[in-house]
Amino acid sequence: MTTKQKLFTVWTFFRINLRRVFRDRLALFFTFLFPLIFLFVFGSLSHNNSVSLNVAVINESQTAFAKQFATQLNKSKVIKVNKQVATFSDANQRMSRGEVDATIELPAGFGSLQSGVPTGKAVVHYTQNNEQAAQTLVSVLQAQFQGINAGLVANKTPFTVTSQQNNEHSLSAFDYTFTGLLGFSILGAGIFGPMNVFPELKKMGILRRLHTTPLRVWQYFLSTMMGQAVTGLLSIGVMFVVAHAVFNLDPVGSVLQFGIFVGLGIILVLGIGLALGGWAKNERQAAPLGNIIVFPMMFLTGVFFPRFLMPQWLQSITTYMPLTPVIDGARMILTEGKTLLDLGPQLAVMAVWFVIIYAIAFRVFRWE
Amino acid sequence: MAKTDDIILRVENLQKSYNGQKAVDGISFEVKRGEIFGILGPNGAGKTTTLEMIETLREIDGGSASIDGVDVATNPYKIRGMIGVQPQTPGFQDKTKLTELIEMFAAAYGEKVDPKKFLDEVNLSEKANSYVEQLSGGQKQRFSIVTALVHNPKVFFLDEPTTGLDPQARRNLWELIEEVRDRGISVILTTHYMDEAEVLCDRIAIMDRGKIIKLDTPKNLIKGLLAQGFKKEQRVEQANLEDVFIDLTGKALRS
Repeated sequence: MTTKQKLFTVWTFFRINLRRVFRDRLALFFTFLFPLIFLFVFGSLSHNNSVSLNVAVINESQTAFAKQFATQLNKSKVIKVNKQVATFSDANQRMSRGEVDATIELPAGFGSLQSGVPTGKAVVHYTQNNEQAAQTLVSVLQAQFQGINAGLVANKTPFTVTSQQNNEHSLSAFDYTFTGLLGFSILGAGIFGPMNVFPELKKMGILRRLHTTPLRVWQYFLSTMMGQAVTGLLSIGVMFVVAHAVFNLDPVGSVLQFGIFVGLGIILVLGIGLALGGWAKNERQAAPLGNIIVFPMMFLTGVFFPRFLMPQWLQSITTYMPLTPVIDGARMILTEGKTLLDLGPQLAVMAVWFVIIYAIAFRVFRWE
Repeated sequence: MAKTDDIILRVENLQKSYNGQKAVDGISFEVKRGEIFGILGPNGAGKTTTLEMIETLREIDGGSASIDGVDVATNPYKIRGMIGVQPQTPGFQDKTKLTELIEMFAAAYGEKVDPKKFLDEVNLSEKANSYVEQLSGGQKQRFSIVTALVHNPKVFFLDEPTTGLDPQARRNLWELIEEVRDRGISVILTTHYMDEAEVLCDRIAIMDRGKIIKLDTPKNLIKGLLAQGFKKEQRVEQANLEDVFIDLTGKALRS
């Protein structure tokens, strides 16, 4: 067979198997909808960037000032008043459950006039575990009172402070969430996909039948890699568009370079799936080994937790895991505007893993 | 070896052991061009192992096999391009049209074909856009055969092709196998059905415990047994139950 014929084989397998994916509802669900569900769940969790305190307000004062103050609390960006709470016992219960962070008591007589000015002392109640929230709340209230006081009593304030937002782009929690989900979706499709499909193909004798033809393992692998890259990039493309439209993800770097880089990541991770699925005689053989490989990668490479939260020694180890450079690199292009040329270290780690993983995959592959 | 040789497959002293047990114990035979050659024997006799060694699926421990002068052990990829294989239970990937599967198998041999033409040959043209999971057992067998012949092989192997088929589908498959032979393709099959071997095979090898214990035409084998003075209880009827079944339900193939 000429090289051209051999590539024709690869192309035909790729073309027909890709069409097949779009007829398989289960595959479509796991490829496109499943990552989107995760995107919505984690996206809405991390999207709200401002700190907010869940607070109960117990107003025991009848004064007009107290009423006005209580409604104003609600307008604050930082404070979220839980309106269901009316009594102290209810507030205490909710605080011990963690549903409410602290309780503001406006005692009887709060806001009543003294020498012509409304005065009073609000009390912040908190439980053992909520000291920090209470401190924050006290500062917030103090700032509010200061504003009110200034309006009531003429006062000079020699020192003030204001905040100003810089225009420089910084990483938001969602940026981490998005690249983490990206890694999650690459892991799922690249490893669990072949790990489930290959043993099934072996059980039905489909691979054995192919083995009686001159088809080579590399041809079979290459067509699978091409198919996986296309479906993976489509799936991530959908995630990308939704993240952009719903969660205001705003890529800084080139989308094309991002696509190329992620495509390389998909093919790298697929190698692990090909090795596992190609080696396993049945599903039961593949699953335990697959979990041993996948779970550390989920927790240590930045899928769920940013790696900068880890102790230094763990960070230096996890730098060299196969998925870490993929997630880091994707984030660097997306949020820091880096180009492929800047990602030399990441690409180098990926290249080394590519050689190791695919060498193993070719070696352990079995047709039946 | 001369090209005009009318021997297509030559097997010499072929051996295979599993854990010290001899599964195939030094067998030799030859298959001629354009004949249907049957390998019979009880389970565990070594039939499937023999076929798998010739099909390059299993390593040959000792001896040799060659197809049309090409050594099997040293040219596995070349051999795979010269043979067609019908496994015992043909499996195909789901959600793939019959035409697409034919395209894929042809592509595996580096060839581009017109799938419709092949489906026509086995009366499956109207199923062209169906998936394999929508076919009946007999249709699946016929389809499997056509996928094994897309590259016009020299030798066609079938492992127990009619197991589990109804009488109509069996007879239809026999005709199909004879058509393949008439195209000049040598057919090598294993079977447990003696009637099948008697109707279909030009020559038969009977294997037991890894050895070929007899090799001849069905007629000669029966003659030989009769010559030993073997007598069977005389049957008066000129028909059997299968004849009744076919008479009642017709020869027409069911879907």
